Amino acid sequence: MRNFSRRSLLRGSVSLAAASTLGCPYVANAAAKTATVWWVQGFVKEEDTSFNAMVADYEKASGNTIDHSLIPFGPMMQKIVSALTSGDVPDVMTHDIAEQAVVPQNAWNDRLIDISDVVETQKQHYHPTALLASAYYNNVAKKRSYYYAPYKTAVLPFHIWGSLVEQAGYKLSDAPKTWDAFWDFFKPMQQKLREKRRGFYALGLQPTTTGPADGNNTFHHFLIANGGNGIVTADGKGHTDDPQVKEAVIKSLAYITTAFKEGYVPPGALSWSDADDNNAFHSKQMLMDLDGTISTEVALFHKKEEYDDVVTMGLPLDNAGKPMTAQLGVTGAFIPKGANNVDVAKDFIKYVIQPKVSNEYLKNGLGRWLPAFPEVVKTDPFWLSGDKHVAPYAKEGVIDPTVTNYPAFNPGYAECNAQQIWGTAAAEVIRDGATPQAAAEKALARIGQILAKYPIAQS
Amino acid sequence: MADVQALRTADPFSHLRLAAAPKPRSAWRLGLQGSEFTWAIAFIIPYAGLFVAFVAYPVLYGLWLGRDPALYFELMSEPIYQRTVVNTILYLGIGVNLKMFGALMMSGFFMRRGWWVKGLLLIYVLPWAVPALPSFISIHWMLNGQWGLINNAIWAFFGIDGPGWLETSRWLALGSVIASHIWKWMPFWTVILLAGRMAIPQELYEAAEMDGATGIKRFTHVSFPLLANLYLVCTLLSTLFTLGDFNSVYFVSGGGPALSTHVLATLGIRDAFEVARPELGVAVVMSALPLMIPLVILLMRKLHTTEVSL
Amino acid sequence: MTVALAEGRARRPNYRNRRRWQEAAALLFAVVVLIWTLTPIYNIIAVSLEAHGDVFTNDLFPAKPSLESFWVVITQGYWYLEFFWRQFENSLYIGLATVFFTLSIGSLASFAIGRMRIRYGWVVSNAALLTYVIPASFLAIPFYRIMGFYGLSNNLWSVIAAEVTFATPYAIFIFHQYGVSIPIELDEAARIDGASPAQVYFKIYLPLMAPALVAVGTYALLLAWNEYLYQFLLLSSKKSMTVPVALAQFLNSDEAPWNYMMATAIVYALPPVAIYYAFRGRMTAGLTMGGVKG
Repeated sequence: MRNFSRRSLLRGSVSLAAASTLGCPYVANAAAKTATVWWVQGFVKEEDTSFNAMVADYEKASGNTIDHSLIPFGPMMQKIVSALTSGDVPDVMTHDIAEQAVVPQNAWNDRLIDISDVVETQKQHYHPTALLASAYYNNVAKKRSYYYAPYKTAVLPFHIWGSLVEQAGYKLSDAPKTWDAFWDFFKPMQQKLREKRRGFYALGLQPTTTGPADGNNTFHHFLIANGGNGIVTADGKGHTDDPQVKEAVIKSLAYITTAFKEGYVPPGALSWSDADDNNAFHSKQMLMDLDGTISTEVALFHKKEEYDDVVTMGLPLDNAGKPMTAQLGVTGAFIPKGANNVDVAKDFIKYVIQPKVSNEYLKNGLGRWLPAFPEVVKTDPFWLSGDKHVAPYAKEGVIDPTVTNYPAFNPGYAECNAQQIWGTAAAEVIRDGATPQAAAEKALARIGQILAKYPIAQS
Repeated sequence: MADVQALRTADPFSHLRLAAAPKPRSAWRLGLQGSEFTWAIAFIIPYAGLFVAFVAYPVLYGLWLGRDPALYFELMSEPIYQRTVVNTILYLGIGVNLKMFGALMMSGFFMRRGWWVKGLLLIYVLPWAVPALPSFISIHWMLNGQWGLINNAIWAFFGIDGPGWLETSRWLALGSVIASHIWKWMPFWTVILLAGRMAIPQELYEAAEMDGATGIKRFTHVSFPLLANLYLVCTLLSTLFTLGDFNSVYFVSGGGPALSTHVLATLGIRDAFEVARPELGVAVVMSALPLMIPLVILLMRKLHTTEVSL
Repeated sequence: MTVALAEGRARRPNYRNRRRWQEAAALLFAVVVLIWTLTPIYNIIAVSLEAHGDVFTNDLFPAKPSLESFWVVITQGYWYLEFFWRQFENSLYIGLATVFFTLSIGSLASFAIGRMRIRYGWVVSNAALLTYVIPASFLAIPFYRIMGFYGLSNNLWSVIAAEVTFATPYAIFIFHQYGVSIPIELDEAARIDGASPAQVYFKIYLPLMAPALVAVGTYALLLAWNEYLYQFLLLSSKKSMTVPVALAQFLNSDEAPWNYMMATAIVYALPPVAIYYAFRGRMTAGLTMGGVKG
């Protein structure tokens, strides 16, 4: 990696433009400076070690100093919001779910620095979905621009206990190829496995309203499988009145709530926090789970037997029999207005988003996160032909079709996510006996209202 | 005049008997003289500084953040907010009163003699001493409907499945949160009320017993009238503390199911940090002011009237 | 029970019977209180003894109890815990500093207000009460801002300032109430002998306030020890964080070794429990708030 940087340094001195086309635009600064960086802490130790190594390499190559804090996922959000609100900010911030939660609104309010020059350096190399998630609408400048430099991505694969499927007398290779049927496939196993296990459930379906991500993510996959991907389009417009969207919402709500009422989903799933589904899955109280990243597997990395027992599967086809579009989570870095050292901050981000650098960083983190660069995934055997969990995960995220999270299109949708509108709608059907039809109409009306607060001018 | 040494080594409650005796003066005679005034100012400055730097300034800053009236209209129209207000009132009304009444009863129980009562008291105060976060997380797991300790116990003893405490019913979840809050904080108030009871001169009880007041009568005629003031002040203080209590709700129910058990403290944090609209979060807090200010005024008056006669 | 029986022997039979019933009812009640108090704590211990840290099982007792997780905590053998003792030190530092400043600022203020009766002193004591009007969790964002302004970001002193801010009003309140019981004549005698207010404060007021100081000190220590919101908001680096913040790291991930988390919690809970037991007697005396003045 050091060699690589030295080479890029050379190139940079020759021509920045030439370098950028080669994907190695990193140029060291002449005057050494310090930037403060808030980086989100990994879920496993290897991620943090890997980050520290990357920072050390950068410091060596550039002569700059990176004063970094690794902050856990949960508190990070509160620190970012506090910092942006009060104006006492670090130079670089990141968050695993920033593209869904803080970046859209703050770009809208003109609180972030335009980092187009940073993103441009890798524009050709970025996965198109990741690139979509890096541009946000600024309501002061009345235009979209790049505020977010992606360096890792993630999707939701299925996590399944292989041995339990066998115990129940089934083979995963027999699993149907379309969405609803795929879920249905696991239902009969519950009864069989319950003979030995009290309180065992088949489906890790999460209509939860707690925790930032899981409930919304689950619902969006159902929505997409039922053809409702057009709920918000890339121009930032909401289509909550579209009959196709409405039908998809009704179908999704109906499937989730029926599975729940029929008793295939742990009742607690209604208020699971992000960790609860993993707790249930790891203690084998649940057969399968649809959950973001392969953290479920990586957590078992040092328990060989269990690690091997889990089967990671990409998504089946959607209900119409077409390839299913997965929702791609995109994690990036951004620079708040008020940062003391924008130059070093940009320089550091440019360094991090070099495909090779980010690839090393993510590989050392056990592959829990995917690179934002398809080339890397295709050329480095680590991703598609290595580990039995990483390969299907990488294929789902980088090779198969993906869509970015809707808040990138319209910041109002971030508010919709935070309001947990879908989980609330499911709860209305389950707890209050509303029909999926009525709950869907109410939810769509609410989303329409919220999106209307964020009118996006079309250029 | 009592000498200092004697007072220090005397039994710890002697001062209370003094307090019950004819009112002593508490202020220095003739007020402050000469340099004493400077001293008094010097003594007060550290707190005044602390107050200005770390209370007044942040409060004003907070008010400034939540200054837009539109925020309050937005809140009022939110169904979640309306539910949250109801929850907060229930949480305070039921939680605080159950807790304080329980503490009053428990303090009476701990007045009993016997080594095992003392031993029990030692264990009873543990929840107060154990850090809040792991305790509440532990309770959250315990209450899991399928795999939690409580329902496992119900299964083991009765062979039936217990309810999903936190999972489907708003009232069950709110009840669980209130119970967790009581679990954590009742010991603290019990200790305080116990101290209050121990300070009641034994002669009063003996005199009451002569007059035939025992059992409940003794409580209603002797203990309670003497404790009433303390009880009221404690209840007011506890109401204010509870209003700001974030941990019980956040870690036990997380506001679920379906956002139905939030209280103002957790909704404020949620709006500020999860919804990422800090000014809305501040507005949630500020909307609790109409509830808090009367309580504080009441508390001040209560303390003031007891001070006047000092 | 034996005590009760011995006492009862001299009395009338039906009275003795009633005493026995009462004692039995009290014991039964005690068992209920024990179960109520200890169940969540039992759960913490049970999880800490689990070999794999599974929190969801169908068992009431850990299948294979082991002390391994405590060993991991003590030897910092897990990456979340790699700075455990450093973080423990931070907690201790914050706790002790909070106690010191709460006691000194609180007692100075209550001395000036309660005994010297400085003019407008009531304004200060009411202002202290006002601190409660806005609950701590709501001052979080403003606090973060002003700490940056004061140059205390990611500094233990920012947390100390926050904890002292929230502990002092209660301290003033208790000191004020307790101080009433100390005869003012002591001060006056010292004044006649030519003692300065500082001498009166150190030589007379503080020694006589000892029980209240112990009580409030314990209160302040537990407050700082248990507090989480400000500590995580104001401290960000691993080496500057405190144990509660480190504990919350476990919640960070989808999956964590919960047995290590609970073992950490138990180790962390030991000092306050020990301190409480050590000072229990004096503490009870100090917390009376003079509430029985009637």
